[in-house]
Formats: sequence, structure tokens, C-alpha cells
Amino acid sequence: MKRFFNTLFRVVLPAALLLAACAPTEPAQPQVVEKTVEVVRTVVVTEERLVEVEKLVTPTAAPGRQTIIVALSQAPTSLDPADHRSRQSETVIRNMFDGLVTRDTSNGVHLEIAEEMNWLDEQTLEVKLRQGVTFHNGVEMTADDVVYTFNRIIQENMIEYPDPHTSPRKGLIAPLMSVDKVDDYTVRMNFNGPWPPAMQLMVHQQIVPMGYLEEVGTQGFIENPIGTGPFKFVSAQPGLEEVVLERFDGYYGGAPDLAPVQPACVQGAIFRVIPEASTRVAALLAGEVDIIQAVPAELIDTLSQTPGIQVKTAIGTNPKWMEMNVNKPPFDDVRVRQAMNYAVDKDLIIEEIYGGRAVALPGPLSPYNNYVNKSLQPYAYDPDKALELLAEAGWTDSNGDGLLDKDGQTFSFTLDTLEEFRSLAEAVADMFRAIGIDASVRFWEYSVVREQLLAGERLAYLDDWGDSAFDPVGHFEAKWHGFQTGTPYGRGNFSTYNNPRVNELIVLGETTNDPTERQKIYDEAQQLVYDEAPAVFLILPEEAEAASTRVQNWEPAADGRINLHDVCLGP
Amino acid sequence: MRAVKILERVLVTIPIVLGVAILVFLFIRLTPGDPVDIMMGQGGAVSEGEMEQLRKEFHLDEPLPVQLWLFLKDAVRGDLGYSYVLKRPVTQLISERLPATIELALGSLVISLLIAFPIGIISAVRQNSAVDRLSMAGAFLGISMPSFWLGIILILLFSVQLKWLPVQGRIGFDAQLQNITGYFVLDSLLSGNRIAFWSSLRHLILPSLTLGAPVAAVVARVLRSSMLETLRSDYVTLARSKGASEWIVVLKHALRNALIPTVTVVGLQVGILLGGNMIVEEVFGWPGLGRMVVSAIFDRDFPLIQGTVMIYAFTFVMANLIVDVMYTYLNPKIEL
Repeated sequence: MKRFFNTLFRVVLPAALLLAACAPTEPAQPQVVEKTVEVVRTVVVTEERLVEVEKLVTPTAAPGRQTIIVALSQAPTSLDPADHRSRQSETVIRNMFDGLVTRDTSNGVHLEIAEEMNWLDEQTLEVKLRQGVTFHNGVEMTADDVVYTFNRIIQENMIEYPDPHTSPRKGLIAPLMSVDKVDDYTVRMNFNGPWPPAMQLMVHQQIVPMGYLEEVGTQGFIENPIGTGPFKFVSAQPGLEEVVLERFDGYYGGAPDLAPVQPACVQGAIFRVIPEASTRVAALLAGEVDIIQAVPAELIDTLSQTPGIQVKTAIGTNPKWMEMNVNKPPFDDVRVRQAMNYAVDKDLIIEEIYGGRAVALPGPLSPYNNYVNKSLQPYAYDPDKALELLAEAGWTDSNGDGLLDKDGQTFSFTLDTLEEFRSLAEAVADMFRAIGIDASVRFWEYSVVREQLLAGERLAYLDDWGDSAFDPVGHFEAKWHGFQTGTPYGRGNFSTYNNPRVNELIVLGETTNDPTERQKIYDEAQQLVYDEAPAVFLILPEEAEAASTRVQNWEPAADGRINLHDVCLGP
Repeated sequence: MRAVKILERVLVTIPIVLGVAILVFLFIRLTPGDPVDIMMGQGGAVSEGEMEQLRKEFHLDEPLPVQLWLFLKDAVRGDLGYSYVLKRPVTQLISERLPATIELALGSLVISLLIAFPIGIISAVRQNSAVDRLSMAGAFLGISMPSFWLGIILILLFSVQLKWLPVQGRIGFDAQLQNITGYFVLDSLLSGNRIAFWSSLRHLILPSLTLGAPVAAVVARVLRSSMLETLRSDYVTLARSKGASEWIVVLKHALRNALIPTVTVVGLQVGILLGGNMIVEEVFGWPGLGRMVVSAIFDRDFPLIQGTVMIYAFTFVMANLIVDVMYTYLNPKIEL
């Protein structure tokens, strides 16, 4: 339904917003800027590291509301860090709970509750915890809480409410076998083998209080969650349609790498669910909310020209591909698949559909992936070369009807996709038509088309695949490994591509820790997939968020998890 | 006598609702799409063991008749199961959101009747006048205007431009309302919280207007045509000839008799107000049942879909019962 609205409002809203943008605005007022100067002195005392932070703050009382209101596009499904599988839940949760590590707004991982993390061998990770970190109920966080947190995720049926079940986040740290307490501030994590993306995936697990959870149970915990994060829980509306948080004054300050290291700037935070994109935009314009997520690409320009509104983008984590069924004609011929890549003018798409806020994919991975093959360039737009390759494969316009044909059959196919990719799919199909391929677009509901895709019943499918870990495992495992029932391998492989060498490299890459060796493995895998082109490698759009200009020190994050710790509200 | 009849009718709803439940149960399982598969989404590694365990947990590994039996066995005891995605009892989820939906439906009903009655009556009394033509053109517009479009236009006009009314939600964040019944307007009155009362009322206006506009249009047109009929009838002529004032003639004699077809239509519309609110709830971020059931359908959250549809069926049947009861008051000749 949301997809349906998004498309419909593309027509109505820009015009209406233009009207709104023309409204008289208040004259700009001089801004009082809060300046924070930090002096960090490090003194080493018998192996313990003491960090003294002196803050000089020019106190300026900012008038107006000091509670920041964020509009989410979907409701969180739970406030229990161990019992959800959604980004919206994690956005709210990360503001109440801290993890051992966290991610900055790009792809960097930084220590948060962990003070030090060392690999003792290829499969044992020792974590030294920061001391003096307290939960919102004043109890100090120790190794017991960390052990309990991970046991609650990796052991079977540890979440007892409403019925005993296993954490849906277990799969995110599947190689973790056990966690042992060494002393009050040290734990050891034992993995079943080398696991290179450990740090990137550890970001998504937050520490819960053992004592409190044992006392109140999961039901009590989700009604009144307690963490170590910068904000503490106040109240929530049914269905988590609104979650109200207030600043936790006893906060230890968060990741030392990510300044400012201090309690949150704003007094409180409210997350409100506004599912409809145009309503989110209207709420921002009316001053009812301060930050909105998922700004539709076609509204970015209008919004950024509106006084009082700032639009910022983060690098995207949802690459878009058009996968072709490599086992069905005409796409069983590699020349045809390469030709399809040459036939698409990605720059034009980026300019016209995404307003320049996207990049062309250089191959099977995002260009921001930590192991992208730097020698690969996006397939160039070269319709002549496309026609040449198609002619080699036997496709020419022999009867002069403007469409390519082979053995009396016209080159015709249906591009399957979802409503949310309508404009992209139609643009791509149009480019195929321009070189004489009869392409039409058909829209599906994901849950319906997915089974047919995995069974290899569809010919071409345009979709995206989200992965915010910046590690090649996510995309390679899901998209470019042959499909294997009952394993994570190929669970999103809609091209039925299955190259034994690529499969081998993917498994090898998952268990190789040495970065140089890993880079070599993934370079080869990317080159193979690039050459065999099971997909038209399309684009990676940026994620746009908008905020009122009152919001300071705000940066949208690539992984979509809004961190309100650093954000301030100006006058 | 009437009470017994009403009780009979209430009891008859039970097989209707159960029938609906069975139909929904079968239809959603015939729709392609595996809830466990969808739940796992794109991210993370999922082993077949985990998927199997989930299927077992949801009884999806049982044959269909067994699943149906398990569902009915619990349903008759008032247990509608747990939502697959939200991991909470369906009855609890519904009872949390039902007040929002009913509040919106009632708000729309009030607003639509406030619009429809004056328009319907005046158009009938002043048939073919400019007022009549204008109102009927307006009613035509009201029926044909898609609610998502009307909603957005109302937001842009009254919230973004004029800043008179809030854009979305049920209440302002600063209202500090104590939740008693879940009906915010009622709760704010009960707790004597004046800020919350105004806030919830202001939040109610635009969504109610959006949802109520097509209802107002339908009711106005029906009222107008049945008024035209009664105004031409003999008893109205008699009332006029007895020297009754025009207002008495119109409101007491004509309107009362024109109400029976109107009430029928209003009764049907109440069902639509409750069941057809998904779009309005989506546009205004209204946390009601409609939005919940839409996401439940996309997630193939079977228990949640079944439970919500059962509630819809029940309220629809109840609305019709209330209409039937009202008939007996409007025209004592009609029996239940």
C-alpha cells in the first residue's frame, strides 16, 4: 500500500510543496552557537587508563522545545534489543542501549562499551569492558550483563514471552558459539572459526541488564526497557506508534572516538511513526517534527530550497540490480547479458530519477564496500557495443520492424519488479526498447514473486538488496552464491547464477581473516561476476533525510540508524 | 420482547463471525507467500533449523484441517493467538488499536452527518435552486474524490499553510493524557485535562473530514431524494393545509419519514467507516486497526489478519443490528 501511495503522491505533492515553499517566511534570526572545547589529558596509572575530560561550555539557554521529535516511516516491532529484525526498532533501541561497538555515520566501527577488543587467536575474541558504565536504574554494567546478553541471543528459547522462542537476531552472529566471563570486566567470545565481519555485525547487538531482566522478565522489560544508552525510556503508545525518551544524565558519554563524549545535548527524544512520505514532509514543514527519514528522491530538491529546512544525504546501502535468469534464453548467453549492461545509461538515470544523488555500481558490490574491486569500472553506456554483442549472439533486426529477432523470434521479455522501483524499471525498459528489445514491466508483491524467483520461473527481475555491514559477505552470500535450500547461501539469488569457482571464493572469503588475502579472494570473485554479468549492475542511491534548521550537529547515518546523542536543538 | 429479539440477533452474529473467520483462514493460506520466509527478510544468516522451528511454533507444519481446528478451538475461548511479527497476543493488539479506529469512525460519522443533514434538507426544500445544484455538485465531488488526495490537500491547506490544525497523530506530545479507555477525547474529559481535550479534538478533525467526506456526500444525496418524496406526500400537504409552520412540516413530518432510508445508508456507511479507513490512517499516521491489518497482510501475519477481520465482521453486523433497532423507534410498525 505504501508503495502505491509513494507513486501517486509523486504527482500531487511536488506542486503542492512548491506552493508551501512560496509562503512568506520569518526573517533569519541571529543564531547563538554553543561552543564546546574539550581538553583531554591522558594519565597512565598502573595499566589502567584514566581519561579526564574538561568541558568548557558557554551556557546559552536555547528557547523553544528541547525535545527532539523524529518521524519514522515504520513502527518499531519491539524495544527488546534481542527480539526484532527491523531497522526502525534498532534506531529507537540504539538511543536507549549501547553495544560493545558502534558505527559512525559512514562505515567505521568504534569501541563503545568495550574498552579494548583483542583476537587471542583466529576464533577467540577477548573484550575488556569500560568500567563505571551504569544502566538507567543506576546498576553498574559488568561482564555478567554482556555474557547474559549474548546467551539470550545465541541459546535456544531464551526469550520466554509471549511463548518461549529463540532470538531472531541469532542469525546475525551465527558463528558465535559461547561467551565466557573472565573477570568482572572481561569476557571471551568463542567463534566456530575465523569470522572477518565480526566487528561490523557486532554493532547490531546491544547490551541488556541481567539483574533487571531476570527480575521483571521479558514482558516487564519491553514495557519498561532499561539500557546504558544516552536516553532512558519514558513511555510508549500502543504499537510503538510513539516512543518518548528523556536524557540519561548518568550517561558515560559514548564512544570515545566520536566526540562529544558527554550526555545527550537535548532534554528528550520522541520517535513518531508517520508511514506516509508526504505526510512526513508536511509534518516537517509544519514544525511538528524535527527530523524525517526516507525523503522521496523527487522531493529532495524542493525541500532543500525551502527556508528552515535542511536536507542531508548519507551513502546508500541498498544497491539496485536487474537480475537475468542465466538458465533461460535469451539470457543464457553471456553476450546478451553483457549487452544489456551496455544498453543502460546509468548516468541519465542518476540525473533524471535521483537528481544526481546516486552512484553507478562498479559491479556486484557497492563502491563503498570495504573490499570492492577497485579495478572494476561500471559498464559504460554504449548502445553500439550492445548491438554488436547482440548481433554476435544472433540477435539482429532481420525483418526491419525495429525489433531484434533471432530464428524468427522477436527479442521480447517482461521485467518483473516491485511497485517501489516503478520509475527505475520503466526507465531501464525504455532503454532496452531504444535498441530494439521489446521490454515491458510487470509489478508484483514481494512475498508472491520471491518463491517464483528462487525456483527460476521468472526471466528478469529488478530489485535492491540492503546490507549495511560494508563487508562483502552479506551481498555475496545472498546474491551471487548458488541457491542452497536451508542455508543462507543464495537466499536472494534471483538470477539462478551458480558458478562453482565463485561459490568456492565466497566460502573462502568468509573464513579468511587476513585482509590482503581476503581482498585477493573478493577481487577475483567480483571480476568473475562482473564478466559473467548475471545482472545489469545499476545504481546505488543515497539515503536522504531532512531536518529543520533548528537541528544542529546532525548527520544521517549510512546504516539508517539515527543517533540522537550528539544532536542539539538551536533557537 | 425487543430485548429478547436483540439478544437473538446478537447470538446470530456468532456463526456469521465464525464463518468469516474460516473463510479468511482459508483465503490467506491460499495466497502465495510464506510468513516465515518473509519474516527473515534479507539480512543475516538463517538456517533451515531456525525456519523449521518457527514453522513448528506457528503450527504451519501441520495439515490445514489441523491448523483450522487449533485456531477454532482457541478462538471460541477468546484466544486469537499471537502475532507472528509483533510477538504479542492478537486480542491485546486489537484492543489497543480498536479505540483509535472507533474514535475516528465516530468523528467521521459526526462530521459527515453535520455536513449531510443541512445540505440534504436545504437541497430538498429548495429543489433546483442554486444552493441545491451547488450542494449536489459538491456531493458528487465528495464521492469521487480519492481520500488520500483529499487528505493531503487538507493537510497542506490547514496544517502547513494556515497552521490551524495538526498534520498527523492522535494527540500532541505535550498533552500528558492519562490513558483510561483508549478513547483520547473521552479520556481527556474524564481526567479533566483541557489541553489534551483540545489537542485530541484538533487531531481528530482532518482525518474525520477526509474519511467522512464521501459518507456525507452519499447521505446528503439519499436524504435529499427521500425528502423530495416525503415532501410530495399527502400527509405533508395535510400538515401544510392544517396551517403548520414550514419548519414543523419539514423537520417533523417530512424529515422523520425520510429518515428510514437514510438510516439504512448510514448503517452501511458505518461498516465502511470502520473497514475502509486504511488509507486515511496511513495518510494521517493514525494508529488504528486499518494500518495494522495492512502491514499484517504484507507480512502474512495470519493470526493478526484473522483476528482483525473477525472484529471488522463483528462490528459490521452490529452496526446493522443497531440500524434495525433504530427502525423500530422511527417507525413502530416495523418489527425486529
